[in-house]
Amino acid sequence: MSGITRWIALWLCAIVLITNSGIAQERTAVKQGFELSANSGKKILLIRPKVSVGEQSTGGLFEPNADWTDKARKNLDAALFKKQGALGNTVLVSPEAYGDQALVSEEYTNLFGAVASAVVNYQFFVGNRLPTKKRDNKAGVFDWSLGEGVRNIPGAQGADYALFIYNKDAYGSTGRKLLQIAAALGPGLAVKSGEHLGYAGLVDLKTGELLWLNADAAMGGDVREIDGAEKRVGQLLEEFPGSVEAVEKAKQP
Amino acid sequence: MTAVIRNTWVLTALCLATVASGAVHANAYREKDKISKIANSSMTVTPPRDWNRLTIKPGKYAEVWTLDGEQLNDVTFYGGVEPGTPLLRERNKKRDPLPKFTTTTLLVEVPELLEGTYRAHKKIGSFTLTNTQPGQFLGRDGVHFTYDYTDQDDLPRKGEARAVLIDKKLYMVTFDAPRLHYFNRTLSDFRTLADAAKIAK
Repeated sequence: MSGITRWIALWLCAIVLITNSGIAQERTAVKQGFELSANSGKKILLIRPKVSVGEQSTGGLFEPNADWTDKARKNLDAALFKKQGALGNTVLVSPEAYGDQALVSEEYTNLFGAVASAVVNYQFFVGNRLPTKKRDNKAGVFDWSLGEGVRNIPGAQGADYALFIYNKDAYGSTGRKLLQIAAALGPGLAVKSGEHLGYAGLVDLKTGELLWLNADAAMGGDVREIDGAEKRVGQLLEEFPGSVEAVEKAKQP
Repeated sequence: MTAVIRNTWVLTALCLATVASGAVHANAYREKDKISKIANSSMTVTPPRDWNRLTIKPGKYAEVWTLDGEQLNDVTFYGGVEPGTPLLRERNKKRDPLPKFTTTTLLVEVPELLEGTYRAHKKIGSFTLTNTQPGQFLGRDGVHFTYDYTDQDDLPRKGEARAVLIDKKLYMVTFDAPRLHYFNRTLSDFRTLADAAKIAK
């Protein structure tokens, strides 16, 4: 009897924890007043995506894997190239940059990752919001920025918006998976194995304001495989403003 | 009811209660012009503007204040670090020990203590102290210093700090933010906040 009761209690805990973790998952936000229609004549600069793939150690640390990252980068680049035509507006691929110019672009991509992470943690995750932003949140204000320095990104002069993509995949190691099973069967703790973060964001290249963000802390698709990378890109650019998909969705009653 | 069943239901109830209340994640409001005690120490601050204090404490004597999230602007107060203890909580005392503040630590060595702490805690290779000079903190003679580093997210950050030793304890405030946009945007807010910090006599 005590065994059954214990199992019921642990399952209840697990269900609650899983349900609660879902709060921080996929969300999309648009800056108030921002609209981008298809074929608007606006130009979107596609910034080289940040891709890091590795393993999550038993202790939960991220251990990068150069081979996986290289494969994922190629797969994601190809998937993005295929998807460009469906985005509804002209997409310019960021020019090949060298030295300091390349570093500027990379640093802004990392800043985008930090801003997106703050949005996910402190705006999308309702229970964790910052008290000073409560009024904004009640009014549905989405006000985040990368700063006006985005104008210095190579290729920014010929475009209106920049599309940033940030991907981090940590596949659970064998040790981590065993820990997950042992923790669930033993003390009934919910240990997460693997992390699949993905952020896509559209930024105004004149003001640096974040206009649209799609963020998911549990993305699907194995980016090390061609099909998986296509699925990932599809998820990242779901409902991208002005895209074929967004236009079709808007037409639905 | 056996002890096992009772304990299990208590665990479940606690689990449900904490999740339902959101108390685990609730960050605190630090309202403009209202005095606030720092990390249960004798240090207080009356913020000249509204701030948020994050619920997650990085160490026994530390607390984090922010405007947009610690990724974008992180003000960490260290309220009376006792000799023999590290600035931040050690993840693993044996495998990943952090440098300790000791009775022999001199004020001029505090910037290096922070550097060693960041290198070990954040597991970063790049950290440069850019300036160290005498300056006031909590109305006493202390040290002001600045630094640069690249965090684990590969984003270069800048930092500015003030520290002082009072009654063999370390009191310090640090400000860290990405060098792009966020550091300059929040620097004057940090300085006025640091100016507003006081210690009970």
